Amino acid sequence: MQALRTAATGMAAQQLNVEVISNNIANMNTVGFKKQRAEFQDLLYQTLEQAGAQSSDQGTIVPTGVQVGAGVKAGSVYRIESQGTMTQTGNPYDVAITGRGYFQVLMPTGETAYTRAGNFAVNDQGQLVTQDGYLVQPAITIPQDATQVSISQSGQVQVTQPGTAAPTVVGQLELATFMNEAGLSAQGANLFKETAASGTPTVGTPGLQGLGTITQGYTEASNVDAVSEITALIVAQRAYEMNSKVISTADNMLGVANQIKS
Amino acid sequence: MDNALYVGLSRQMVLRRQLDIVANNIANADTSGFKVEELMQKVNPAEPAYTLQGPRPVKFVGEDGVIRDFGQGALRRTDAPFDLAIEGKGFFQVQSPNGPLYTRDGAFRVDDNGTLVAQNGYPVMDDGGGSVTLDPTLGQVSISQDGTITQGTTRVGKLGVVNFQTLATLQKTGDNFYRNTSNQQPAPAEGSKIRQGMLEGSNVNSILEISKMIEISRAYEQMAKIMDSNTELSKSAVQRMGKAQ
Repeated sequence: MQALRTAATGMAAQQLNVEVISNNIANMNTVGFKKQRAEFQDLLYQTLEQAGAQSSDQGTIVPTGVQVGAGVKAGSVYRIESQGTMTQTGNPYDVAITGRGYFQVLMPTGETAYTRAGNFAVNDQGQLVTQDGYLVQPAITIPQDATQVSISQSGQVQVTQPGTAAPTVVGQLELATFMNEAGLSAQGANLFKETAASGTPTVGTPGLQGLGTITQGYTEASNVDAVSEITALIVAQRAYEMNSKVISTADNMLGVANQIKS
Repeated sequence: MDNALYVGLSRQMVLRRQLDIVANNIANADTSGFKVEELMQKVNPAEPAYTLQGPRPVKFVGEDGVIRDFGQGALRRTDAPFDLAIEGKGFFQVQSPNGPLYTRDGAFRVDDNGTLVAQNGYPVMDDGGGSVTLDPTLGQVSISQDGTITQGTTRVGKLGVVNFQTLATLQKTGDNFYRNTSNQQPAPAEGSKIRQGMLEGSNVNSILEISKMIEISRAYEQMAKIMDSNTELSKSAVQRMGKAQ
């Protein structure tokens, strides 16, 4: 019975939906996290009678065909790259991006990863690193005797050292953008990698060529909206229940067919 | 005598098909741009049955086609810049390797070349039948109600929304697409608006579908009962005739 299999695809789809929603809720307080959404598509249709087919020699046509669908599948799970709200932290190494762009991070494997989470720190050699200790690219070293660090909107890093009145420029933060940011592959730990779908990165100075600007002392919160996630969860749960109801109805009908007396 | 069995069977077959369609509606209750479907039924008259009281009509139940309700689905906000919903009539056009396809599901993306594409990578067509290419350095993309795409202050194109005279001949191909199976040409849709950052949900009414399902299930049981009593009738007829001998 087709209805059984169709309802099973519906349950599988809603299960995926709940998994995506629960990941959003779990990462509600993750810096730089972007919410995801599952998008569904209908499956193939079995055409039993073709609409528009000739029904007589006089050229009359069948006005509506008979097409029976086979259920639903996940079309894609994609990230919604809208801006998260800014959270003030007061930490001089916390930087948030307003607008497009990703920070570049050098992985231990030598590859470059990309992140929106700008909650950086300084390691024992004074280098700017992520929470996992990976180097931020291009490398910036803060001198040991720096009394004050300031990062401008365009990503210029300046330090004030004792004995000199004028601040010294020690580096420049750069941002990378992609044609299709939703095509980046998530690596966990707030990091993303380039894929064939995302396209190659374009690196530039913050504030120029459509890139976002940098704000020091702030981090970008996740863009997850708790209320809409909970609403989506309720809808998904009800949809799951409805599909299971179809299965029990189909099962009931098969049971009835089995009990017909011969 | 067997007519009753076969008439009952024809009804049960149609009921099963009806359940398949209800199951598909419910499975796609959360699919963007999905339009609810229903099975139409017809009477298939057969040879009349000859009884002592003269001929009695015999009519089977048959499938007469699937109709789609192309009514508006509810719009929900997603905030993704390339999620588009049509308010009113019409379809977006995408270019597949086998000709144009039509869809109400406006969950579009930009691919690695900057081309606006549907979820499976088919390019979305503009009003002139070409594709739409965006340049990320030009800034924010805004799409107006009539489909005009602007980046910053530069106009980069206009999305085509088309409609058909008769929607019944559109054939579903899966992946939320429809194919045009007749000779009618699509014309620009009038009076419809594009909403950016929104998606059109399905127009499946779950309460209606559940009640349809209950009805189908009960009708199926009823037919089984009728077929059972018909069998009983033949049994007792055979027994009586045996005694009369």
